[in-house]
Amino acid sequence: MYLLEINNLHARVGDGKQILKGVSLKIAPGEVHAIMGPNGSGKSTLAGVLAGKPGYEVTEGQVLYEGRDLLAMPPDERARAGIFLAFQYPVEIAGVNNMYFLRSALNAVRRARGEKDLDAGQFLKAVREKLKLLEIGEDLLQRAVNVGFSGGEKKRNEIFQMAMLEPKLAILDETDSGLDIDALRVVSNGVNRLRDPKRAIVLITHYQRLLDYVVPDRVHVLGDGRILQSGDKSLALELEKGGYGHLGSAA
Amino acid sequence: MCAMAAVKTETVPYLEAFRARTRDSEPAWLVERRRTAAARFAELGFPTRRQEQWRFTNLAPLTQGAFPPNSVENRIQIELAGELPAGAWLGSVQEALRDRPEVLRAALDEAELAGAQPFTLLNAALFDDGYILAIEPGTAVEHPIEVVHRGEGGGSFHPRSVILLGERSSATIVETFEGRGKSWTNSVSTVRLGPNAHLRHVMVQESGPEAIHLGLARAALAAGARYENFLLTLGARLSRFDVHAIIEGEGARCGLAGVTLLRESQEATVATFVDHAAPGGETREVFKCVVDDRAHGVFLGKIAVRPGADKTDAKQVSRNLLLSPRAAVDTKPELEILADDVKCSHGATVGDLDADALFYLRARGIDEAAARAMLIEAFAVDAIEGAVAAGPMRDHLRRRVGAWLEQSGS
Repeated sequence: MYLLEINNLHARVGDGKQILKGVSLKIAPGEVHAIMGPNGSGKSTLAGVLAGKPGYEVTEGQVLYEGRDLLAMPPDERARAGIFLAFQYPVEIAGVNNMYFLRSALNAVRRARGEKDLDAGQFLKAVREKLKLLEIGEDLLQRAVNVGFSGGEKKRNEIFQMAMLEPKLAILDETDSGLDIDALRVVSNGVNRLRDPKRAIVLITHYQRLLDYVVPDRVHVLGDGRILQSGDKSLALELEKGGYGHLGSAA
Repeated sequence: MCAMAAVKTETVPYLEAFRARTRDSEPAWLVERRRTAAARFAELGFPTRRQEQWRFTNLAPLTQGAFPPNSVENRIQIELAGELPAGAWLGSVQEALRDRPEVLRAALDEAELAGAQPFTLLNAALFDDGYILAIEPGTAVEHPIEVVHRGEGGGSFHPRSVILLGERSSATIVETFEGRGKSWTNSVSTVRLGPNAHLRHVMVQESGPEAIHLGLARAALAAGARYENFLLTLGARLSRFDVHAIIEGEGARCGLAGVTLLRESQEATVATFVDHAAPGGETREVFKCVVDDRAHGVFLGKIAVRPGADKTDAKQVSRNLLLSPRAAVDTKPELEILADDVKCSHGATVGDLDADALFYLRARGIDEAAARAMLIEAFAVDAIEGAVAAGPMRDHLRRRVGAWLEQSGS
């Protein structure tokens, strides 16, 4: 059984512009899929539609998550059901303490899974373990959510949250963009540690670079709102050499 | 032209009550002063929306109701977290009249009545309740002093607070206003800070949903003095709080901040006026207002820099959050700069909750109501943390904000 089934998905943005024009994709638990494509191909729209970001309108098609109609679920319910979006641009939220935020999120997700809330001690223990994994200083947690974080810190914080929330389906929207090579290594290690037979990961990226570190099972090329080509990891290498130019209208 | 000015009918019940009250036990200067204030009040009448300062404030609940003044003493509760040091005197207005009339007289000088608003004059004519805090030079009161003004039942209350800090003295005072039922509280707090004195003045207005509260805090700052006022507005169907600070001495500093949280059909105005009359003064103002349902919040912020008040440094921020399409906010900064080499700035925003932040929280599993509450709390708490040092006072204010959010459940 597939974890996620996207069938003929069409979506447009608030101003009426059609972005997704028939995306179909099936993802099974344990798989890592990479979705590549040039700017404007619809990669981030796809991530946004899956996570329930406001501002998109699905005009046709269907998305099933564990057999349920995903598009009928509000974004927080999707998250509690195990979907995690690592944001391309993590939002700064002044006045909300990172630790408080994370504990609220974790307990919301745990309750949905039928688990008990973590008490302060258990929570701190879990936090310390995962912080090490992503080489994040504990002081970062005492600050407001993403406020004053460097670009790299924001991206690491996203993967740290993912490690804490243990989703079934993680969608990483250009998590590699803006990272230097050391940060990319740390983030990739974090993601690799989270590979699990029960968890699917979708890597959305413009560049092949990330895929050197996190090796995907499947690679899809998105262009003009459709999947133009699918293959194994070698497809990413081909794209690296030939660029997106030869993929018909996707240039 | 009529030889006699027309009687302003809305003033009649208050003036009648004034005349009916005998003041035989009071010193002559006070009786005279009350008479002057009452006469001016009679001339002015209630303010109207034709006056710029009252343009946004709908006084109908006050003008349409009848609030005869109550004549009950000691409707005040004073709590001390610790002992008062020698050199500090604290007592009710009645005690002050008996034991320290000279302290009262020093605070209630003629300057206070000149140019005063009608309600301040009415308070000057009628006040019986309230407290006096007088601190000798060089005395620090470590523990916060808590004063609760209670107005129970109907009618009007005119509490008067007087805080006098001598040179280099310091104190923290929290005044809570709890008007109950269909009452009108008309409070005036008069503050005088000597050179380099420092007062932290926290005011919490949490009157009941049918009550009316009009209040004024008026502070005069000598050279190097520091006045920090924090105003939390939560209650009353109609409220207006004026905070008026006069920088009289060189290098005095004034920090005014506040949080207003409104819902249903509450109507609240916060009006500040900082008058820089001496050079080198500093003003920092941060006011935040959250408005839900059909409520209406108003912020009026005036900063004047008089000729000669060079090197004044003033900054004012008004931030407003609208939680419902029927909620409304009016915010009006006003700078009047008549000196040179002055730094003055102001900024005002009115908006909804940040949609990106809301989505971010929800994308992590936090439900919409909790995510909204988290963002509203962050918005309000930011003003508290910027103005009130970490400790029991900040915790107290945070708890009040938290309690308000729990009531909304939205």
